Amino acid sequence: MATVILQNVCKSYGNRKTVHDVNLTIEDKEFMVLVGPSGCGKSTTLRMVAGLEDITAGRLTIDGRDVTDAPPQQRDIAMVFQSYALYPHMTAYRNMAFGLLKTTRLSKAEIDGRIREAAEILHITDLLDRRPKELSGGERQRVAIGRALVRKPKVFLFDEPLSNLDAKLRNRMRGELKRLHRELGLTVIYVTHDQIEAMTLGSRVAMMSKGELQQVGVPMDVYMRPANTFVATFIGSPEMALLPCRADAGGVLGHDGFAAGVALGGTELPSDVILGVRPEEVSFSRTAGMARGQVERSELIGAEALVEVALGEDRITVRSAVADAPEPGEQVGLDFDLARVRLFHAGTGQAIDRQG
Amino acid sequence: MSLNVARARRNEALLAYAFLFPSLVFLAVFTYWPILRSIWFSLHDVVLGDPEIFWLGAENYLRLLDDGLFWKVFANTALYTLITIPLAILVALLLAVALDSKLRGIGLYRSAFFYPVMIPSVAAGMVWVFLYAPGYGPINEALTFLGLPRLDWLYSSKWALPAIMLMSIWKYSGYFMLILLAALKLVPSDLYEAARLDGVSAPQRLIHITVPLISPTLYFVIVIGLLHSYQIFDYVYVMTQGGPADATNVLTFYIYQNGFQYQDIGYASTLANTLLVFVLGLIGLVSVTLGRRVHYLGER
Repeated sequence: MATVILQNVCKSYGNRKTVHDVNLTIEDKEFMVLVGPSGCGKSTTLRMVAGLEDITAGRLTIDGRDVTDAPPQQRDIAMVFQSYALYPHMTAYRNMAFGLLKTTRLSKAEIDGRIREAAEILHITDLLDRRPKELSGGERQRVAIGRALVRKPKVFLFDEPLSNLDAKLRNRMRGELKRLHRELGLTVIYVTHDQIEAMTLGSRVAMMSKGELQQVGVPMDVYMRPANTFVATFIGSPEMALLPCRADAGGVLGHDGFAAGVALGGTELPSDVILGVRPEEVSFSRTAGMARGQVERSELIGAEALVEVALGEDRITVRSAVADAPEPGEQVGLDFDLARVRLFHAGTGQAIDRQG
Repeated sequence: MSLNVARARRNEALLAYAFLFPSLVFLAVFTYWPILRSIWFSLHDVVLGDPEIFWLGAENYLRLLDDGLFWKVFANTALYTLITIPLAILVALLLAVALDSKLRGIGLYRSAFFYPVMIPSVAAGMVWVFLYAPGYGPINEALTFLGLPRLDWLYSSKWALPAIMLMSIWKYSGYFMLILLAALKLVPSDLYEAARLDGVSAPQRLIHITVPLISPTLYFVIVIGLLHSYQIFDYVYVMTQGGPADATNVLTFYIYQNGFQYQDIGYASTLANTLLVFVLGLIGLVSVTLGRRVHYLGER
């Protein structure tokens, strides 16, 4: 069992605090994705788990053992870097063998066995004699993963491992990583700024912003029920439209572009709220519609069109079939799927929980 | 079209030669001509100030083989090089690794260790003559303080050469340190992090990661070091004049003695040519043996 527990973990450089009180439990065999914009503290958090950065305050346990102050080699972890960090003067084989040769008492035959096995899994058996500069980006990435695999660590750490690959290769490696996690039952902490990677890879995702954990949950849950406006706009593409509204006690929302009633289920609304609407929760109305706006632009992206409509001062994106997409300048009616939209406090940005 | 390209190319080549011309003239007058001249001298009996010159053929070279002092001087130079250069590079490497950090005030330490390089060698030699002075020199005072016997240093045929080696290591290592430090800065830090996660110890990281990755620079430093050490003259001239009993006599000093003290330009040229061939051979040997083991970082 390789459960990783972060308790009130903080990181400061001098007076500047970059990670604030992170509390996070990564269960055994879980694929936890730390996601957030650059500078949000996700990489620093990962590096604290690795032992490459000191933990300023808080506690870290791996598999029940307190490793807050332990050096990296005593944490039983392996890490894959964004730059791959392969030793350029060693062959792929030697890159994978180096750590084991220098730090374990495994026999050469055992080490060879592990390398062959990992190479088999990663389809790099034919590349073992090559130096990093003779390998493509994707192949280097596989060797870097192989170097982590042969260690048989309790926890695998990935720091933006796919960022240096082109889009097509990134897609394929994403599938590979998912397969490895499933087949080998690895415990993984994975850092990325790419919300698609987070959504597709994670058993759970942990959203970070400005050094603070915003929300932790399974990807669909975070997508459907974002805890605040930050998470709401970060996850999902095109992003969720946020429409500031005035609310009355009856649950009727007033906006420059429309007025609509939402079911409250007994929740009291503050007077100022933000209505969050994803592109798939709004459609063009055949009748007058709940709201009327003017089309700003229309982007054809193959099977569908993304249409941006101005509602007063705000903008909202609508997913539409290509054939139905209106032209810029047209006045259109919009219908919201009021059962699915969500509300946030205008002041704090926190989600308002509606029972109903 | 192709005619124009050919003409453009020819013009470009002419321009390049025009730029090279001044330095080629300089090299020819001050390097290649003296080399040719010294080959010619070595085949003749040439005495400084004497216009009469006799053809000797290979006689000067045969004399060199029989010259016991030449072999002693040759051995001194080889020993000096074999000990000074590896030790200076080792000290420089350790200093560079220690100084490759982001500690506050690190620039001050770097300057401190580079400082010996900036002292003119004659001045440095004078300082060390004082340091080594048997009666009042601080080094002997320190030995006494530690309960160790005092040494005659530059006045002892046993300790004079080691004394010059020690001082040379002090002088060279700051220079080598600066070059190696620049190379260390180019090694990506994530390689060290990967090794740390693997549990590879600091000495192992130095041997298996740092050294191979800065090997092009190490190779450069070795070649420069060999060139410098075979040309050592100033310290010997200032500190010992080759003594006592030729214990610190080295090739360039022996050349100087023959040419300008004994006025035997022919034999001095013979020695100089022998030194040149030997150093070229040595660098060839180094490039064949070490040069093959150099790893270039290449594209990452």
